[in-house]
Amino acid sequence: MIELRDVSKFFDQTPAVEALTLSIPKGKFCALVGTSGCGKSTTLRMINRLLTHTRGQIELDGQSIDAYDPVLLRRRIGYVIQNTGLFPHWNVARNIGLVPRLLKWPTAQVNQRVEELMALLGLPVNEFAHKYPHQLSGGQAQRVGVARALAADPDILLMDEPFGALDPITREKLQEMLMQLQARLHKTIVFVTHDMDEALRLADKLVVMRDGRIVQQGTPLSLLQKPSDAFVDSLLGGLERGLKQASLTRVKDHMVPPGAHLAAPRVTTEQTLRQALSLMLRDQCERLTVVDPQDEPVGELSLDRLVKEAFHPKERPRDD
Amino acid sequence: MTRPVHPGSAYQPTQLLWPMMWLVLLVVVVLVIPHAQGLFQWLAPEAREVIYQRAAFTQLLGRHLLVVGAAALMTITLGVLAGVVVTRQWGRDFLPLVAQVASLGQTFPPVAVLALAVPALGFGTVPIIVALVLYGLLPIVRNTIAGLKGVDPAVVSAAYGMGMTPGQILRQVELPLAAPVILAGIRTSVTINIATAALGATVGASNLGDPIIAGIVNANNAYIVQGAMVIALLAVSVDSMFEVFQRRLRSRTP
Ligand SMILES: Nc1ncnc2c1ncn2[C@@H]1O[C@H](COP(=O)(O)OP(=O)(O)OP(=O)(O)O)[C@@H](O)[C@H]1O
Ligand SMILES: [Mg+2]
Repeated sequence: MIELRDVSKFFDQTPAVEALTLSIPKGKFCALVGTSGCGKSTTLRMINRLLTHTRGQIELDGQSIDAYDPVLLRRRIGYVIQNTGLFPHWNVARNIGLVPRLLKWPTAQVNQRVEELMALLGLPVNEFAHKYPHQLSGGQAQRVGVARALAADPDILLMDEPFGALDPITREKLQEMLMQLQARLHKTIVFVTHDMDEALRLADKLVVMRDGRIVQQGTPLSLLQKPSDAFVDSLLGGLERGLKQASLTRVKDHMVPPGAHLAAPRVTTEQTLRQALSLMLRDQCERLTVVDPQDEPVGELSLDRLVKEAFHPKERPRDD
Repeated sequence: MTRPVHPGSAYQPTQLLWPMMWLVLLVVVVLVIPHAQGLFQWLAPEAREVIYQRAAFTQLLGRHLLVVGAAALMTITLGVLAGVVVTRQWGRDFLPLVAQVASLGQTFPPVAVLALAVPALGFGTVPIIVALVLYGLLPIVRNTIAGLKGVDPAVVSAAYGMGMTPGQILRQVELPLAAPVILAGIRTSVTINIATAALGATVGASNLGDPIIAGIVNANNAYIVQGAMVIALLAVSVDSMFEVFQRRLRSRTP
């Protein structure tokens, strides 16, 4: 549980963050979005005390962060940044084991934890443990960055544009990986990104900032449905908002039992309404057969239904 | 876990070839000089004696190394320390002062330092060590500052974010990453001072400068060449050892 109450940060006389009030429940994924320079990184860095807030209260699990020693606090909070910040003179294994070693874990336990994390993040130990950061691809390096942040099993993970420098395909893979990790580990995550699709896809809670203030916060769906002003609307994609919303909803939530005869194009239950709509456009049809992952027909979806119900979703797609 | 060797750090015996060769040459020259009468007679046909005899060359070499080594130890300690201090947040105010003192040390001729130091410190090795320290400080201070400033701020910021203390960051992150640049400064400083140390002979610190000074005083070119040759070989040997060391460090820090 992370609580910020009326938090401000001034650099000299200039405010970077002003009167920020935000509460992130335990195990939830909170995405911070907003234009460049609006104070997202500053907010993140105040939580692990890399920056000291000028005013207000920041609490972790009801305990003010001022009560912690900053160094010890940071060892309990995972931190991932855009260009990984991996130590170039240390190999992968040593980089990942950093915080456990700072915490004076016995060597055997550190090694075991490193191997565990490498497996968790899909980095084969034999292949990667002794590589140096400059020998890794961007995606691999960022996996190491995430592994390093998770090493001492912190409850909280702060991620500052972690996938910002990756190509779209790698980025999507890592998003998938993060979603799977989160489904298992239930960390409290604060995630800064410029990629709105990424934020919508990953977040339980979306926070839109502008000029150091929160403009709107809520679930991705609630923001898509009711952006509080033109700024939020345009940030969320303006006219594309409908498609973004459709991409948050899965076919299985809106299909009806299969009718008498099956239509030709097929979608799976796990695909999104956006993909279903695209398929209809592409194949110029108004009806799709919905199949389960075993390719068995389990329902159907009509354009009419898709259009009318997409904006009244039953649940979030991420039902983990 | 098996431990494949990092490609850059693989031990390459050929790297040691050059320093070894120079070192062997140095030893050979030191041992051969006393027996090379014929050769040096040719350099100084007028002179009665052509081999410097007042002390054995091995002894002069030993003393020379001692003076340069002692000075290097002090210069490195002082220079790196100063470079570290002025790159800390709390020491930033001293940056201009330290930079000026260091460059003053190098622009001030060592001969003048000796002349000023002797009345205060007396004859012998102490004044020459003082002169060498002052003269050799600049490259080390300058490179320490450049090396530490050149460390990627994102890496340092990440180090803080992981919960490392400033001391841990300095020792485990900043200094290792700056090491190749710092070492380059040390290399320059030590190599220059091997030659500069010869001035010690003028203030009674007996070393490889002795034959040179004696050669100048007695107009004996043979003495000068003997001293200069050994000093040059020593400088080249040490320099090429640094080269190997540096290459190894660099392969570790891409
Ligand atoms: N150390 C600092 N000293 C002075 N001003 C700063 C400092 N760090 C940030 N700022 C200012 O604070 C404001 C917010 O910066 P911040 O880095 O939090 O923005 P951001 O939302 O993360 O932007 P971006 O999306 O570009 O990363 C900016 O105007 C920035 O110039
Ligand atoms: Mg930022």
